[in-house]
Amino acid sequence: MSVQTEVITAEQARKNTLNLPVETSLEMLRLLVENIKEYAITTLDSHGLVMTWTPAAERMKGYRPDEVIGRHFSIFYPKEDVSDGKCDRELEVAAREGRFEDEGWRVRKDGSRFWANTVITALRDAQGNSKGFGKVTRDLSERKQAEERNKQQSQDILEMATVPAVQVWEGILLVPLIGMLDSARTQQLMERLLQRLTETSSPVALLDITGVPTIDTQTAQHLIETIKAARYVGAEVILTGVRPAIAQTLVHLGVDLSHTTTRSSLTGGLRVALSLLNLQVAGTTRND
Amino acid sequence: MTNELISVIKVHDLLLATMPSDPDDATVAALQEETLTAMDQHEVRGLILDLSKVEILDSYFARTVAETAQMVGLMGGETVIAGMRPAVAITATELGVTLGRTRTALTVERALELAGQRNNATRRR
Amino acid sequence: MNVQEEGEVRIKEETDIAIARRATRDLATKLGFGVTETARIVTAASELGRNTYKYAGGGVMLWRALIDNDSKGLELRFSDEGPGIADVNEAMREGHTTGGGLGMGLPGAKRLMDEMEIQSVVGKGTMVTVRKWRRR
Repeated sequence: MSVQTEVITAEQARKNTLNLPVETSLEMLRLLVENIKEYAITTLDSHGLVMTWTPAAERMKGYRPDEVIGRHFSIFYPKEDVSDGKCDRELEVAAREGRFEDEGWRVRKDGSRFWANTVITALRDAQGNSKGFGKVTRDLSERKQAEERNKQQSQDILEMATVPAVQVWEGILLVPLIGMLDSARTQQLMERLLQRLTETSSPVALLDITGVPTIDTQTAQHLIETIKAARYVGAEVILTGVRPAIAQTLVHLGVDLSHTTTRSSLTGGLRVALSLLNLQVAGTTRND
Repeated sequence: MTNELISVIKVHDLLLATMPSDPDDATVAALQEETLTAMDQHEVRGLILDLSKVEILDSYFARTVAETAQMVGLMGGETVIAGMRPAVAITATELGVTLGRTRTALTVERALELAGQRNNATRRR
Repeated sequence: MNVQEEGEVRIKEETDIAIARRATRDLATKLGFGVTETARIVTAASELGRNTYKYAGGGVMLWRALIDNDSKGLELRFSDEGPGIADVNEAMREGHTTGGGLGMGLPGAKRLMDEMEIQSVVGKGTMVTVRKWRRR
Protein backbone atom coordinates (compact mmCIF):
# COMPACT_ATOMS: atom_id res chain seq x y z
CA MET A 1 0.00 0.00 0.00
CA SER A 2 1.25 3.38 -0.79
CA VAL A 3 -0.66 6.30 0.59
CA GLN A 4 0.72 9.67 -0.29
CA THR A 5 0.26 12.14 2.47
CA GLU A 6 1.51 15.58 1.89
CA VAL A 7 1.56 18.65 4.01
CA ILE A 8 -1.30 20.79 2.92
CA THR A 9 -1.10 24.43 3.71
CA ALA A 10 -3.96 26.76 3.22
CA GLU A 11 -2.10 28.18 0.27
CA GLN A 12 -1.70 24.83 -1.42
CA ALA A 13 -5.23 23.84 -0.60
CA ARG A 14 -6.30 26.79 -2.63
CA LYS A 15 -4.04 25.73 -5.48
CA ASN A 16 -5.14 22.11 -5.34
CA THR A 17 -8.81 22.82 -5.56
CA LEU A 18 -10.84 24.48 -8.21
CA ASN A 19 -12.19 27.87 -7.24
CA LEU A 20 -13.46 26.78 -3.88
CA PRO A 21 -13.09 28.80 -0.74
CA VAL A 22 -10.24 27.51 1.46
CA GLU A 23 -12.65 26.68 4.26
CA THR A 24 -14.67 24.41 1.97
CA SER A 25 -11.71 22.51 0.66
CA LEU A 26 -10.22 22.08 4.11
CA GLU A 27 -13.61 21.00 5.38
CA MET A 28 -13.85 18.42 2.57
CA LEU A 29 -10.42 17.06 3.44
CA ARG A 30 -11.41 16.86 7.08
CA LEU A 31 -14.55 14.96 6.14
CA LEU A 32 -12.46 12.59 4.04
CA VAL A 33 -10.16 11.79 6.96
CA GLU A 34 -13.11 11.41 9.33
CA ASN A 35 -15.18 9.21 7.03
CA ILE A 36 -12.69 6.94 5.35
CA LYS A 37 -13.26 3.46 6.66
CA GLU A 38 -10.34 1.39 5.43
CA TYR A 39 -7.62 3.56 6.89
CA ALA A 40 -7.19 4.86 10.41
CA ILE A 41 -5.70 8.32 9.84
CA THR A 42 -4.36 9.97 12.95
CA THR A 43 -1.77 12.54 13.83
CA LEU A 44 0.99 12.48 16.42
CA ASP A 45 2.94 15.33 17.90
CA SER A 46 6.72 15.36 17.48
CA HIS A 47 7.09 13.19 20.61
CA GLY A 48 4.75 10.54 19.31
CA LEU A 49 1.72 11.45 21.38
CA VAL A 50 -1.65 11.03 19.70
CA MET A 51 -3.12 14.39 18.66
CA THR A 52 -6.18 13.52 16.61
CA TRP A 53 -8.39 10.48 16.34
CA THR A 54 -11.11 9.31 13.95
CA PRO A 55 -14.08 6.92 14.06
CA ALA A 56 -12.18 4.52 11.79
CA ALA A 57 -9.24 4.54 14.18
CA GLU A 58 -11.62 3.84 17.06
CA ARG A 59 -13.16 0.94 15.15
CA MET A 60 -9.78 -0.48 14.24
CA LYS A 61 -8.03 -0.13 17.57
CA GLY A 62 -10.84 -0.04 20.09
CA TYR A 63 -9.92 3.21 21.86
CA ARG A 64 -12.32 6.12 22.29
CA PRO A 65 -10.83 9.57 21.61
CA ASP A 66 -10.72 10.49 25.30
CA GLU A 67 -8.87 7.24 26.04
CA VAL A 68 -6.15 7.72 23.50
CA ILE A 69 -5.46 11.38 22.79
CA GLY A 70 -2.32 12.47 24.56
CA ARG A 71 -0.99 8.94 24.88
CA HIS A 72 2.14 7.63 23.17
CA PHE A 73 1.52 5.69 19.96
CA SER A 74 3.57 2.75 21.25
CA ILE A 75 0.42 1.52 23.00
CA PHE A 76 -0.65 0.21 19.60
CA TYR A 77 2.38 -2.06 19.34
CA PRO A 78 3.14 -5.46 20.94
CA LYS A 79 5.35 -5.36 24.04
CA GLU A 80 8.26 -7.03 22.30
CA ASP A 81 8.36 -4.32 19.64
CA VAL A 82 8.23 -1.54 22.18
CA SER A 83 11.03 -2.89 24.36
CA ASP A 84 13.04 -3.30 21.18
CA GLY A 85 12.85 0.44 20.67
CA LYS A 86 10.91 0.03 17.45
CA CYS A 87 8.61 3.01 17.94
CA ASP A 88 11.43 5.47 18.59
CA ARG A 89 13.21 4.23 15.50
CA GLU A 90 10.12 4.71 13.37
CA LEU A 91 9.79 8.34 14.36
CA GLU A 92 13.50 8.88 13.82
CA VAL A 93 13.37 7.52 10.30
CA ALA A 94 10.19 9.42 9.49
CA ALA A 95 11.73 12.65 10.74
CA ARG A 96 14.89 12.06 8.74
CA GLU A 97 13.53 10.67 5.50
CA GLY A 98 10.03 12.07 5.47
CA ARG A 99 8.24 8.77 5.85
CA PHE A 100 8.41 5.34 7.42
CA GLU A 101 6.35 2.34 6.35
CA ASP A 102 6.09 -1.10 7.78
CA GLU A 103 3.83 -4.13 8.17
CA GLY A 104 3.44 -5.98 11.41
CA TRP A 105 1.36 -6.85 14.43
CA ARG A 106 -0.61 -4.17 16.16
CA VAL A 107 -2.46 -4.40 19.46
CA ARG A 108 -6.01 -3.30 20.13
CA LYS A 109 -7.36 -1.91 23.39
CA ASP A 110 -8.62 -5.38 24.38
CA GLY A 111 -5.16 -6.86 23.85
CA SER A 112 -6.02 -8.72 20.67
CA ARG A 113 -3.63 -8.54 17.75
CA PHE A 114 -4.13 -7.72 14.10
CA TRP A 115 -1.79 -7.50 11.12
CA ALA A 116 -1.51 -4.01 9.69
CA ASN A 117 0.38 -1.71 7.35
CA THR A 118 1.39 1.64 8.79
CA VAL A 119 2.82 4.71 7.09
CA ILE A 120 4.21 7.43 9.33
CA THR A 121 4.78 10.74 7.59
CA ALA A 122 6.65 13.75 8.90
CA LEU A 123 4.44 16.84 8.85
CA ARG A 124 6.19 20.13 8.17
CA ASP A 125 4.88 23.63 7.72
CA ALA A 126 5.86 25.91 4.86
CA GLN A 127 8.97 26.97 6.80
CA GLY A 128 10.00 23.35 7.24
CA ASN A 129 9.29 23.13 10.96
CA SER A 130 8.25 19.77 12.31
CA LYS A 131 4.62 19.85 13.32
CA GLY A 132 4.44 16.22 14.23
CA PHE A 133 3.57 13.10 12.29
CA GLY A 134 0.69 11.71 10.29
CA LYS A 135 -0.06 8.04 10.86
CA VAL A 136 -2.09 6.00 8.40
CA THR A 137 -2.86 2.43 9.36
CA ARG A 138 -4.57 -0.21 7.25
CA ASP A 139 -5.91 -3.37 8.80
CA LEU A 140 -4.59 -6.29 6.73
CA SER A 141 -6.14 -9.09 8.77
CA GLU A 142 -8.29 -10.29 5.91
CA ARG A 143 -5.39 -10.35 3.52
CA LYS A 144 -3.20 -12.21 6.02
CA GLN A 145 -5.87 -14.81 6.62
CA ALA A 146 -6.28 -15.28 2.88
CA GLU A 147 -2.50 -15.68 2.59
CA GLU A 148 -2.46 -18.32 5.33
CA ARG A 149 -5.29 -20.15 3.65
CA ASN A 150 -3.46 -20.09 0.32
CA LYS A 151 -0.28 -21.35 1.93
CA GLN A 152 -2.16 -24.18 3.59
CA GLN A 153 -3.93 -24.98 0.34
CA SER A 154 -0.65 -25.03 -1.58
CA GLN A 155 0.81 -27.35 1.01
CA ASP A 156 -2.21 -29.60 0.82
CA ILE A 157 -2.09 -29.64 -2.97
CA LEU A 158 1.62 -30.45 -2.91
CA GLU A 159 1.01 -33.24 -0.45
CA MET A 160 -1.83 -34.55 -2.48
CA ALA A 161 0.20 -34.42 -5.65
CA THR A 162 2.94 -36.46 -4.02
CA VAL A 163 0.53 -38.95 -2.48
CA PRO A 164 -3.00 -38.42 -3.71
CA ALA A 165 -5.56 -40.25 -1.58
CA VAL A 166 -9.09 -39.89 -2.80
CA GLN A 167 -12.21 -41.22 -1.17
CA VAL A 168 -14.09 -42.93 -4.00
CA TRP A 169 -16.81 -44.42 -1.82
CA GLU A 170 -17.74 -44.41 1.80
CA GLY A 171 -14.97 -46.36 3.41
CA ILE A 172 -12.86 -46.79 0.29
CA LEU A 173 -9.74 -44.75 -0.35
CA LEU A 174 -8.04 -44.75 -3.75
CA VAL A 175 -4.32 -44.05 -3.95
CA PRO A 176 -2.96 -44.00 -7.51
CA LEU A 177 0.80 -44.28 -7.36
CA ILE A 178 2.85 -42.70 -10.09
CA GLY A 179 6.52 -43.39 -10.56
CA MET A 180 9.07 -45.36 -8.61
CA LEU A 181 8.97 -45.86 -4.87
CA ASP A 182 12.21 -45.04 -3.13
CA SER A 183 12.58 -45.02 0.67
CA ALA A 184 11.75 -41.35 0.98
CA ARG A 185 8.59 -41.64 -1.11
CA THR A 186 7.57 -44.78 0.74
CA GLN A 187 7.77 -42.99 4.04
CA GLN A 188 5.62 -40.22 2.59
CA LEU A 189 3.21 -42.82 1.22
CA MET A 190 2.88 -44.68 4.51
CA GLU A 191 2.36 -41.55 6.54
CA ARG A 192 -0.11 -39.97 4.15
CA LEU A 193 -2.06 -43.17 3.46
CA LEU A 194 -2.42 -44.06 7.13
CA GLN A 195 -3.30 -40.50 8.04
CA ARG A 196 -6.04 -40.41 5.41
CA LEU A 197 -7.29 -43.89 6.36
CA THR A 198 -7.74 -42.87 10.00
CA GLU A 199 -9.08 -39.40 9.14
CA THR A 200 -11.75 -40.73 6.80
CA SER A 201 -12.25 -43.91 8.79
CA SER A 202 -11.85 -46.00 5.65
CA PRO A 203 -11.44 -49.73 6.20
CA VAL A 204 -10.33 -50.31 2.61
CA ALA A 205 -7.67 -48.73 0.42
CA LEU A 206 -7.06 -49.38 -3.26
CA LEU A 207 -3.36 -48.91 -3.94
CA ASP A 208 -3.14 -48.66 -7.70
CA ILE A 209 0.27 -49.28 -9.21
CA THR A 210 -0.69 -48.86 -12.87
CA GLY A 211 1.55 -45.79 -12.91
CA VAL A 212 4.54 -47.59 -11.41
CA PRO A 213 6.77 -48.52 -14.38
CA THR A 214 8.85 -51.28 -12.83
CA ILE A 215 9.00 -53.13 -9.57
CA ASP A 216 12.25 -54.03 -7.94
CA THR A 217 12.72 -55.91 -4.69
CA GLN A 218 13.02 -52.71 -2.70
CA THR A 219 9.79 -51.26 -4.08
CA ALA A 220 8.00 -54.52 -3.47
CA GLN A 221 9.24 -54.63 0.12
CA HIS A 222 8.12 -51.05 0.61
CA LEU A 223 4.67 -51.91 -0.68
CA ILE A 224 4.44 -54.89 1.66
CA GLU A 225 5.50 -52.71 4.59
CA THR A 226 2.85 -50.16 3.69
CA ILE A 227 0.19 -52.86 3.52
CA LYS A 228 1.27 -54.23 6.92
CA ALA A 229 1.14 -50.81 8.54
CA ALA A 230 -2.31 -50.15 7.06
CA ARG A 231 -3.51 -53.45 8.52
CA TYR A 232 -2.33 -52.38 11.96
CA VAL A 233 -4.53 -49.29 11.90
CA GLY A 234 -7.48 -51.42 10.83
CA ALA A 235 -7.59 -51.06 7.06
CA GLU A 236 -7.15 -53.59 4.29
CA VAL A 237 -5.09 -52.63 1.25
CA ILE A 238 -5.93 -54.07 -2.15
CA LEU A 239 -3.17 -53.80 -4.71
CA THR A 240 -4.60 -52.99 -8.13
CA GLY A 241 -3.11 -52.38 -11.53
CA VAL A 242 -0.95 -55.49 -11.37
CA ARG A 243 -0.32 -55.96 -15.08
CA PRO A 244 1.25 -59.07 -16.59
CA ALA A 245 4.77 -57.59 -16.69
CA ILE A 246 4.61 -56.60 -13.03
CA ALA A 247 3.12 -59.96 -12.06
CA GLN A 248 6.00 -61.67 -13.84
CA THR A 249 8.61 -59.57 -12.07
CA LEU A 250 7.02 -60.16 -8.67
CA VAL A 251 7.04 -63.93 -9.14
CA HIS A 252 10.63 -63.92 -10.44
CA LEU A 253 11.77 -61.83 -7.49
CA GLY A 254 10.14 -64.29 -5.15
CA VAL A 255 8.10 -61.58 -3.48
CA ASP A 256 5.51 -63.00 -1.14
CA LEU A 257 2.23 -61.27 -1.70
CA SER A 258 0.16 -64.27 -0.73
CA HIS A 259 -1.45 -62.46 2.18
CA THR A 260 -2.46 -59.52 0.04
CA THR A 261 -5.38 -59.25 -2.34
CA THR A 262 -4.22 -58.11 -5.75
CA ARG A 263 -6.04 -57.41 -8.99
CA SER A 264 -4.94 -56.42 -12.48
CA SER A 265 -7.56 -53.72 -12.86
CA LEU A 266 -8.97 -50.99 -10.68
CA THR A 267 -12.49 -52.23 -11.36
CA GLY A 268 -11.58 -55.64 -10.07
CA GLY A 269 -10.12 -54.10 -6.96
CA LEU A 270 -13.19 -51.97 -6.42
CA ARG A 271 -15.38 -55.05 -6.62
CA VAL A 272 -13.34 -56.73 -3.88
CA ALA A 273 -13.44 -53.55 -1.83
CA LEU A 274 -17.20 -53.31 -2.04
CA SER A 275 -17.65 -56.94 -1.11
CA LEU A 276 -15.32 -56.44 1.82
CA LEU A 277 -17.62 -53.70 2.95
CA ASN A 278 -20.52 -56.10 2.43
CA LEU A 279 -22.27 -53.99 -0.13
CA GLN A 280 -24.34 -55.33 -2.99
CA VAL A 281 -22.60 -55.47 -6.33
CA ALA A 282 -24.75 -56.18 -9.35
CA GLY A 283 -23.06 -58.33 -11.93
CA THR A 284 -20.70 -61.24 -12.09
CA THR A 285 -18.18 -62.24 -9.49
CA ARG A 286 -15.40 -63.23 -11.81
CA ASN A 287 -11.83 -62.68 -10.72
CA ASP A 288 -9.95 -60.28 -12.95
CA MET B 1 3.15 -38.32 36.53
CA THR B 2 0.66 -39.23 33.86
CA ASN B 3 -2.23 -41.47 34.69
CA GLU B 4 -0.96 -44.92 33.85
CA LEU B 5 -4.07 -46.92 34.56
CA ILE B 6 -5.50 -49.57 32.31
CA SER B 7 -9.23 -49.92 32.26
CA VAL B 8 -10.87 -53.27 31.58
CA ILE B 9 -14.63 -53.29 31.30
CA LYS B 10 -17.22 -55.72 30.08
CA VAL B 11 -19.31 -54.64 27.10
CA HIS B 12 -22.05 -57.13 26.21
CA ASP B 13 -20.13 -60.39 25.96
CA LEU B 14 -16.81 -58.78 25.20
CA LEU B 15 -13.97 -57.28 27.19
CA LEU B 16 -12.83 -53.77 26.36
CA ALA B 17 -9.33 -53.00 27.61
CA THR B 18 -8.07 -49.45 27.16
CA MET B 19 -4.36 -48.71 27.34
CA PRO B 20 -2.91 -45.34 28.46
CA SER B 21 -0.61 -43.32 26.22
CA ASP B 22 2.79 -44.49 27.48
CA PRO B 23 2.45 -47.34 29.94
CA ASP B 24 5.54 -48.42 31.85
CA ASP B 25 6.51 -52.10 31.92
CA ALA B 26 4.50 -52.85 35.07
CA THR B 27 1.37 -51.37 33.50
CA VAL B 28 1.88 -53.38 30.32
CA ALA B 29 2.27 -56.54 32.38
CA ALA B 30 -0.90 -55.65 34.24
CA LEU B 31 -2.79 -55.73 30.94
CA GLN B 32 -2.21 -59.43 30.66
CA GLU B 33 -3.09 -60.05 34.32
CA GLU B 34 -6.28 -58.04 34.32
CA THR B 35 -7.47 -59.38 30.98
CA LEU B 36 -7.08 -62.99 31.99
CA THR B 37 -8.65 -62.40 35.39
CA ALA B 38 -11.61 -60.68 33.79
CA MET B 39 -11.98 -63.45 31.22
CA ASP B 40 -12.04 -65.92 34.04
CA GLN B 41 -14.69 -64.01 35.96
CA HIS B 42 -17.05 -63.23 33.10
CA GLU B 43 -18.42 -65.13 30.16
CA VAL B 44 -16.85 -63.26 27.29
CA ARG B 45 -16.33 -64.11 23.65
CA GLY B 46 -13.30 -61.99 23.16
CA LEU B 47 -11.16 -58.98 23.86
CA ILE B 48 -11.11 -55.56 22.25
CA LEU B 49 -7.82 -53.84 22.93
CA ASP B 50 -8.19 -50.08 22.59
CA LEU B 51 -4.80 -48.65 21.61
CA SER B 52 -6.12 -45.30 20.43
CA LYS B 53 -4.27 -43.39 23.15
CA VAL B 54 -1.00 -45.27 22.76
CA GLU B 55 1.89 -43.26 21.38
CA ILE B 56 4.70 -45.82 21.57
CA LEU B 57 4.68 -49.54 20.99
CA ASP B 58 8.06 -51.13 21.63
CA SER B 59 8.93 -54.82 21.34
CA TYR B 60 8.03 -55.54 24.96
CA PHE B 61 4.59 -54.01 24.66
CA ALA B 62 4.05 -55.78 21.32
CA ARG B 63 5.12 -59.13 22.71
CA THR B 64 2.79 -58.76 25.67
CA VAL B 65 -0.10 -57.95 23.33
CA ALA B 66 0.69 -60.97 21.17
CA GLU B 67 0.91 -63.24 24.22
CA THR B 68 -2.33 -61.88 25.64
CA ALA B 69 -4.08 -62.53 22.33
CA GLN B 70 -2.71 -66.05 22.34
CA MET B 71 -3.98 -66.67 25.85
CA VAL B 72 -7.36 -65.21 25.00
CA GLY B 73 -7.43 -67.56 22.03
CA LEU B 74 -6.63 -70.55 24.18
CA MET B 75 -9.49 -69.57 26.45
CA GLY B 76 -11.78 -69.60 23.45
CA GLY B 77 -11.90 -65.91 22.62
CA GLU B 78 -10.83 -63.60 19.81
CA THR B 79 -8.85 -60.40 20.05
CA VAL B 80 -9.37 -57.23 18.04
CA ILE B 81 -6.91 -54.37 18.25
CA ALA B 82 -8.61 -51.02 17.77
CA GLY B 83 -7.52 -47.52 16.95
CA MET B 84 -3.80 -47.92 16.49
CA ARG B 85 -2.27 -44.57 15.53
CA PRO B 86 -0.49 -44.16 12.18
CA ALA B 87 2.88 -43.34 13.76
CA VAL B 88 2.65 -46.40 15.98
CA ALA B 89 1.63 -48.64 13.09
CA ILE B 90 4.55 -47.41 11.01
CA THR B 91 7.15 -47.89 13.74
CA ALA B 92 5.70 -51.28 14.65
CA THR B 93 6.11 -52.36 11.04
CA GLU B 94 9.64 -50.99 10.82
CA LEU B 95 10.58 -52.54 14.13
CA GLY B 96 9.34 -55.84 12.75
CA VAL B 97 7.08 -56.81 15.65
CA THR B 98 4.26 -59.23 15.30
CA LEU B 99 1.02 -58.76 17.14
CA GLY B 100 -0.01 -62.36 16.86
CA ARG B 101 -3.30 -63.66 15.62
CA THR B 102 -5.33 -60.52 16.05
CA ARG B 103 -7.71 -58.66 13.89
CA THR B 104 -7.60 -54.91 13.70
CA ALA B 105 -10.21 -52.19 13.49
CA LEU B 106 -10.02 -48.46 12.91
CA THR B 107 -12.07 -47.65 15.98
CA VAL B 108 -13.50 -49.30 19.06
CA GLU B 109 -16.94 -48.83 17.54
CA ARG B 110 -15.96 -50.78 14.46
CA ALA B 111 -14.26 -53.40 16.60
CA LEU B 112 -17.52 -53.97 18.41
CA GLU B 113 -19.29 -54.32 15.06
CA LEU B 114 -16.59 -56.66 13.83
CA ALA B 115 -16.74 -58.83 16.92
CA GLY B 116 -20.50 -58.82 16.59
CA GLN B 117 -20.32 -60.57 13.25
CA ARG B 118 -20.71 -64.25 13.95
CA ASN B 119 -19.93 -65.35 10.43
CA ASN B 120 -16.70 -63.95 9.11
CA ALA B 121 -16.23 -64.29 5.38
CA THR B 122 -12.61 -63.24 5.47
CA ARG B 123 -10.07 -64.06 8.11
CA ARG B 124 -7.59 -61.28 8.45
CA ARG B 125 -4.20 -61.25 10.08
CA MET C 1 29.00 -31.19 13.79
CA ASN C 2 28.33 -29.18 16.90
CA VAL C 3 26.72 -30.08 20.17
CA GLN C 4 24.04 -27.58 21.08
CA GLU C 5 22.80 -29.07 24.32
CA GLU C 6 23.30 -32.26 26.26
CA GLY C 7 22.09 -34.14 29.28
CA GLU C 8 21.53 -37.54 30.73
CA VAL C 9 18.90 -39.86 32.12
CA ARG C 10 19.97 -42.59 34.51
CA ILE C 11 18.60 -46.04 33.85
CA LYS C 12 18.61 -47.91 37.10
CA GLU C 13 15.06 -49.07 37.73
CA GLU C 14 12.40 -50.43 35.41
CA THR C 15 10.43 -47.21 35.61
CA ASP C 16 13.47 -45.34 34.28
CA ILE C 17 12.81 -46.80 30.83
CA ALA C 18 9.54 -44.87 30.67
CA ILE C 19 11.33 -41.78 31.97
CA ALA C 20 13.92 -42.12 29.25
CA ARG C 21 11.11 -42.39 26.70
CA ARG C 22 9.43 -39.28 27.97
CA ALA C 23 12.65 -37.30 27.98
CA THR C 24 13.40 -38.47 24.45
CA ARG C 25 9.96 -37.50 23.26
CA ASP C 26 10.28 -34.02 24.73
CA LEU C 27 13.69 -33.57 23.12
CA ALA C 28 12.59 -34.83 19.72
CA THR C 29 9.53 -32.60 19.76
CA LYS C 30 11.59 -29.60 20.84
CA LEU C 31 14.03 -30.21 17.99
CA GLY C 32 11.14 -30.15 15.56
CA PHE C 33 10.91 -33.79 14.59
CA GLY C 34 7.50 -34.78 13.21
CA VAL C 35 5.09 -37.21 14.84
CA THR C 36 6.30 -40.28 12.98
CA GLU C 37 9.99 -39.44 13.32
CA THR C 38 9.50 -38.84 17.03
CA ALA C 39 7.77 -42.20 17.36
CA ARG C 40 10.77 -43.86 15.69
CA ILE C 41 13.27 -42.18 17.98
CA VAL C 42 11.33 -42.88 21.17
CA THR C 43 10.78 -46.50 20.20
CA ALA C 44 14.50 -46.93 19.54
CA ALA C 45 15.25 -45.31 22.90
CA SER C 46 12.85 -47.73 24.57
CA GLU C 47 14.47 -50.75 22.95
CA LEU C 48 17.98 -49.67 23.86
CA GLY C 49 16.98 -48.41 27.29
CA ARG C 50 15.40 -51.72 28.07
CA ASN C 51 18.54 -53.53 26.91
CA THR C 52 20.57 -51.39 29.29
CA TYR C 53 18.25 -52.12 32.18
CA LYS C 54 17.62 -55.78 31.55
CA TYR C 55 20.87 -57.16 30.24
CA ALA C 56 23.46 -54.82 31.67
CA GLY C 57 22.08 -54.22 35.12
CA GLY C 58 21.53 -50.56 34.50
CA GLY C 59 23.39 -47.65 33.03
CA VAL C 60 22.79 -44.22 31.64
CA MET C 61 21.32 -42.57 28.53
CA LEU C 62 23.32 -39.57 27.42
CA TRP C 63 21.59 -37.29 24.95
CA ARG C 64 22.94 -34.56 22.72
CA ALA C 65 21.18 -32.08 20.47
CA LEU C 66 23.36 -31.74 17.38
CA ILE C 67 23.61 -29.31 14.52
CA ASP C 68 25.46 -30.07 11.31
CA ASN C 69 25.29 -27.67 8.35
CA ASP C 70 21.81 -26.39 9.20
CA SER C 71 20.60 -29.91 9.95
CA LYS C 72 19.29 -30.60 13.41
CA GLY C 73 19.82 -34.01 14.96
CA LEU C 74 19.38 -35.95 18.17
CA GLU C 75 21.99 -38.34 19.50
CA LEU C 76 21.33 -40.91 22.20
CA ARG C 77 24.12 -42.88 23.81
CA PHE C 78 23.36 -45.83 26.06
CA SER C 79 26.26 -46.65 28.32
CA ASP C 80 26.61 -49.45 30.79
CA GLU C 81 29.16 -51.44 32.72
CA GLY C 82 27.50 -54.73 32.03
CA PRO C 83 28.80 -58.02 30.67
CA GLY C 84 29.43 -56.60 27.22
CA ILE C 85 28.61 -58.16 23.86
CA ALA C 86 30.95 -60.87 22.70
CA ASP C 87 29.90 -60.88 19.08
CA VAL C 88 28.37 -57.62 17.88
CA ASN C 89 27.57 -59.01 14.44
CA GLU C 90 25.69 -61.86 16.01
CA ALA C 91 23.75 -59.44 18.19
CA MET C 92 22.85 -57.39 15.13
CA ARG C 93 21.50 -60.38 13.30
CA GLU C 94 17.74 -60.26 12.82
CA GLY C 95 15.86 -62.22 15.42
CA HIS C 96 18.80 -62.68 17.73
CA THR C 97 17.64 -63.49 21.22
CA THR C 98 19.34 -63.14 24.58
CA GLY C 99 17.99 -63.92 28.02
CA GLY C 100 14.52 -64.73 26.90
CA GLY C 101 13.84 -61.40 25.27
CA LEU C 102 12.61 -61.02 21.75
CA GLY C 103 15.98 -59.69 20.77
CA MET C 104 14.52 -56.82 18.78
CA GLY C 105 16.69 -54.31 20.57
CA LEU C 106 19.74 -53.69 18.41
CA PRO C 107 18.57 -54.53 14.88
CA GLY C 108 15.26 -52.80 15.53
CA ALA C 109 16.89 -49.64 16.81
CA LYS C 110 19.20 -49.62 13.81
CA ARG C 111 16.24 -49.77 11.42
CA LEU C 112 14.49 -46.90 13.15
CA MET C 113 17.48 -44.55 13.38
CA ASP C 114 19.81 -43.02 10.80
CA GLU C 115 23.14 -43.92 12.39
CA MET C 116 24.26 -46.47 14.95
CA GLU C 117 27.59 -47.25 16.55
CA ILE C 118 28.35 -50.01 19.01
CA GLN C 119 31.39 -50.34 21.20
CA SER C 120 31.60 -53.22 23.59
CA VAL C 121 34.22 -55.02 25.64
CA VAL C 122 33.36 -58.27 27.34
CA GLY C 123 33.48 -57.90 31.08
CA LYS C 124 33.73 -54.12 30.90
CA GLY C 125 30.61 -52.71 29.33
CA THR C 126 28.83 -51.47 26.24
CA MET C 127 28.16 -48.18 24.55
CA VAL C 128 25.43 -47.95 21.89
CA THR C 129 25.09 -44.63 20.09
CA VAL C 130 22.24 -43.77 17.73
CA ARG C 131 21.48 -40.62 15.81
CA LYS C 132 18.55 -39.27 13.85
CA TRP C 133 18.61 -36.20 11.65
CA ARG C 134 15.63 -34.07 10.83
CA ARG C 135 14.32 -34.59 7.31
CA ARG C 136 14.51 -31.32 5.38
